Amino acid sequence: MGVFMIHAISAANRHLYEDVIEQHFRLRHEIFVEERRWETLRKPDGREIDSYDNEDTVYLLALEDRRVVGGHRLYPTTKPSMMSEVFPHLASVRGCPADPLVWEWSRYFVVRDRRDGVLNLQLMAAVQEFCLDQGIAQVSAIMETWWLPRFHEAGFVVTPLGLPALVEDAWTMAATIDVRQETLDALHERVGMASVVRQDGPRIDAIARANSCGLVAAQRKIA
Amino acid sequence: MSAVDYGREALDFIEGLEAYRRVPDAMNALEAAFGRFGFETIIVTGLPNPNQRFAQMVLAKRWPAEWFKLYTEKNYDRVDPVVRMCRRSINPFEWSEAPYDAELEPNAAEVMNRATDFRMSRGFIVPIHGLTGYEAAVSLGGVHLDLNPRSKPALHLMAMYGFDRIRRLLEPASNPSTQLTPREREVIGWAAQGKSAWEIGEILHITQRTAEEHLATAARKLGAVNRTHAVALAIRRKIISP
Repeated sequence: MGVFMIHAISAANRHLYEDVIEQHFRLRHEIFVEERRWETLRKPDGREIDSYDNEDTVYLLALEDRRVVGGHRLYPTTKPSMMSEVFPHLASVRGCPADPLVWEWSRYFVVRDRRDGVLNLQLMAAVQEFCLDQGIAQVSAIMETWWLPRFHEAGFVVTPLGLPALVEDAWTMAATIDVRQETLDALHERVGMASVVRQDGPRIDAIARANSCGLVAAQRKIA
Repeated sequence: MSAVDYGREALDFIEGLEAYRRVPDAMNALEAAFGRFGFETIIVTGLPNPNQRFAQMVLAKRWPAEWFKLYTEKNYDRVDPVVRMCRRSINPFEWSEAPYDAELEPNAAEVMNRATDFRMSRGFIVPIHGLTGYEAAVSLGGVHLDLNPRSKPALHLMAMYGFDRIRRLLEPASNPSTQLTPREREVIGWAAQGKSAWEIGEILHITQRTAEEHLATAARKLGAVNRTHAVALAIRRKIISP
């Protein structure tokens, strides 16, 4: 195994990662469409890309040298999000968050040959580490309910926004997850790394970005 | 109740759980909350692997004492069709959905029949699958149950949070290294020297299977995903020397 890190990739430094981003779109198609049969995501070119993949998306991708082995993405909730547009019924009790300090966390994946390893814990550490560094207070997520105990085990503080419902034959729920130093410390200790996220090139200011998205959305509403 | 009422009730219950500082208090809250759905019995338990006994896996329970005695004495967990299905399922299910062949598996039929003698004629179970292969469940039983497509998602979530609260309350606050038994420390020490489970068995005069069992338990206690990871964690926490 070569050099391993989880890279934070945003509009600011994406030019350094075009090959990696491409590879990850194809992996997402392999995993979410071919393997998990989310047919609505199927694309003729074999690249799984949806409306939450754009200039405001931040990707956290685990790289072994240049090979993508897992990852997930973050998206500002000041824009219409997957939860607010596709799954609002899952958040019917507490409502969908729309806040520059809350980012939507989605498309969590691990390549087949890394599923039994420590990578899950590293990926969970990565979302906490990146968000803590950026000042993001919570992530919101549409998640399969059987993952809830796994998040609990990782020390995540998960607050449900409604009751689970069946989505494509899987019990699925909406929740927010707190970003906490103590959660991150415990995960770092467990994976034996002081830091798992690497940011090369120019850095994004996530909160400023979310605020400007919110402003655009508000102006659109007024117009 | 409407779906929204079930949702509010479940989320209020979940929010309230953090306030309990002792397992019996949390169990009282679970008993009251699940009681509103007609449930009379609760068990919060890990599922034993072939080398473990069911009784040591139980985290908390509200079971008739006689039934627990019978269940453990007869090792019913080995033949219980609900336990079998729980290992294979990530979704909650009603006990009646666990398949078995009454002709070919008379033991399975016996568990299900005897349960009805203890007012556990119907039930609902929520499987828990941890990150490192840990298997557990919250199983609820009773006679007259409010079990329908609207109540099940509420029970699903309440059971998972109930499990997490009990699990955390039972976690020792002290350094986890103190949790390893001397034998587990010894086995991890040999594994750190590169010995296989078979070799460790030879060295310690125990079977390979027992050595593997100690390694697996130690790995679980350390929160490791495999043997190599367990060795690394044990060294880092100075449980063994490198």
